[in-house]
Amino acid sequence: MLEIKDLHASVAEDGKEILRGINLSVKPGEVHAIMGPNGSGKSTLANILAGREDYEVTSGSIEYKGEDLVELDPEDRAHKGVFLAFQYPVEIPGVSNTYFLRAALNAKREANGEPEMGSMDFMKYIREKVKQLGLKDELLTRSVNEGFSGGEKKRNEIFQMAVLEPSLCVLDETDSGLDIDALQTVAAGVNALRSPERAFVVVTHYQRLLNFIVPDYVHILMNGRIVKSGDKSLALELEDKGYGWLDELVVS
Amino acid sequence: MLDAVNRDQEPEWLVSLRDRGAKIHGELGVPTTRNEEWKYTPLRSLAGVNWNPGEPGPAVFGTDPTFYAQTTIRVVIVNGRLDRNLSELPVVPGLTLMSLRDAIYEKPDVALHLGQIAKIEDHTFAALNSAVFVDGVYLHLSAGAAVEPVIEITHVTSGEGMVIAPRVLIVADENSTAKIVEQYCSDGSSTNLTIPVTEVFVAKHSNVEHVRLQDESLDSYHIALWETKQAGESEYRSYNVAFGGGLARLDQNIDLNGEHITTRLDGVVVARGEQVIDNHTKLDHALPNCNSFEIYKQIIDDKATVVFNGKIFVHQDAQKTDAKQTNQALLLSPNATINSKPQLEIFADDVKCTHGATVGQIEETFRFYMRSRGIPKATADAILVYAFAAEVLELMSDAVVRERLERRLYSKLGIDLGLM
Repeated sequence: MLEIKDLHASVAEDGKEILRGINLSVKPGEVHAIMGPNGSGKSTLANILAGREDYEVTSGSIEYKGEDLVELDPEDRAHKGVFLAFQYPVEIPGVSNTYFLRAALNAKREANGEPEMGSMDFMKYIREKVKQLGLKDELLTRSVNEGFSGGEKKRNEIFQMAVLEPSLCVLDETDSGLDIDALQTVAAGVNALRSPERAFVVVTHYQRLLNFIVPDYVHILMNGRIVKSGDKSLALELEDKGYGWLDELVVS
Repeated sequence: MLDAVNRDQEPEWLVSLRDRGAKIHGELGVPTTRNEEWKYTPLRSLAGVNWNPGEPGPAVFGTDPTFYAQTTIRVVIVNGRLDRNLSELPVVPGLTLMSLRDAIYEKPDVALHLGQIAKIEDHTFAALNSAVFVDGVYLHLSAGAAVEPVIEITHVTSGEGMVIAPRVLIVADENSTAKIVEQYCSDGSSTNLTIPVTEVFVAKHSNVEHVRLQDESLDSYHIALWETKQAGESEYRSYNVAFGGGLARLDQNIDLNGEHITTRLDGVVVARGEQVIDNHTKLDHALPNCNSFEIYKQIIDDKATVVFNGKIFVHQDAQKTDAKQTNQALLLSPNATINSKPQLEIFADDVKCTHGATVGQIEETFRFYMRSRGIPKATADAILVYAFAAEVLELMSDAVVRERLERRLYSKLGIDLGLM
């Protein structure tokens, strides 16, 4: 589903290189965890997959379902099934969640040649999603993330993901700022969406999220490169030893 | 211009108001940008027009003026004169809604308030209005009256090169409640100069919501004075929606003349093309324990210019005043201009007064968030711009009025989003 080859990327504004040759292959149904210390480039990778223009891909390639992702606008990527759950979801006062999601879903449907979902059908559809995820109905009428607690914002990201039904879900530090209860709710929401057709790239600093969202593969990103890959036991090893023991693997 | 009014029959107080207006206007003339209060209001182009006195409007309009006035209680003023055919004046308990011209002769109350609220000595165009107005609206709420349906006052101007001087007097006696919408529109692309004056008296324990929509043609000039006097324990909520006019200026002043008064003085401005939209507001806190809240949201595109001047005076006796002013501008083009000037003068020592002014563009993080969900860039921008302005529209209590203004906001912004 996702093939990243020798990806180099830098900050558009000052040209500072962040990613220095990433290779990653993700197949449908898999969950890949990307772990790494602060500043390793893992959030940059997540944002580049969604098409944030603050970064520039300088060489290498990203193929998604056999198509070059790099040249696509963020909205086109979303229409093709890429979803980024933000580390810091944006508050948009004056725009209700319902309106926002309907605009998003119908834009996607239009792009894929499907008919627009009418207001009534849409309400039925999202009410079901609200129920599935155990959320409150009031979420629908509230403005997007406005005045939400950290946990509510992250839950709203997962809710949006459930509504938009993407193929590739990228979670950027979804665990940051969550207490253990909120973490479990969010993880349960993610697990409910796991399917043989859908893949996840979970970016996280800590291992604890991976207790709840169990990955098939764990990759350690340091200084812009994946320095080690393994299965879920690698995350536990990291939890034990920290990142220091990997320093020798970092090529500067 | 002054000859247009037949003054033979008028009561002495009115003749004296007209004389005073003519004298003040004669002395002040048309201000130049050297005058601090008119620094950003270019009136030079006014001088290039050969202005004529306002004449009665046509019986048939290019643009249907009832588009704006769809409620059950409405009065339509065409070129400053009440049009009985377009107006809908049902008998409502506690409400008097009639031609100001008639009220001058029939209602003794008019003499107590007309010209007593607006301070024309500071406003040359309000002085001119006082000298030349022909007609307008008298809206009176008797003590205890609670009028549920929205009362609409629609000013239409039709024709070219005329000075139209509508005059409105609103008197809300004690314990009365009403929601009033006052709107200005043009018949087609009329190129008149409208110089309205609206005076509002809100008596003790009364509650008045007053929405203003300025939606005249982009070739027209509009220079207005709205002045409100509030007595103790009253509430006045004003929402100024300013979309229209080539050059449109409003001076809106509120006298908080009692204790425990609540005032809202909010605005939504959208200026495009080469429009100049200028709002000068003034809140005068004279006595203790009053609250005033002011939010101005301004969207400026193309080569348009917007001016905001927000004065808040807190006099020495006005302890425990809580005054909050926010004015925000969203610039959609590199050629758009905002001149923003909060002006707080505080002479009391135990008060809470804050003001904040921001100027910004659409935030890239907001835009990216929406695009990452599949919303195309242009739609994302439209939603964000709409949401910026909607924060003020959402404060309006009447859903029908709010939705109508939201639709008008879409069309003014040139976007099609469907209702949120």
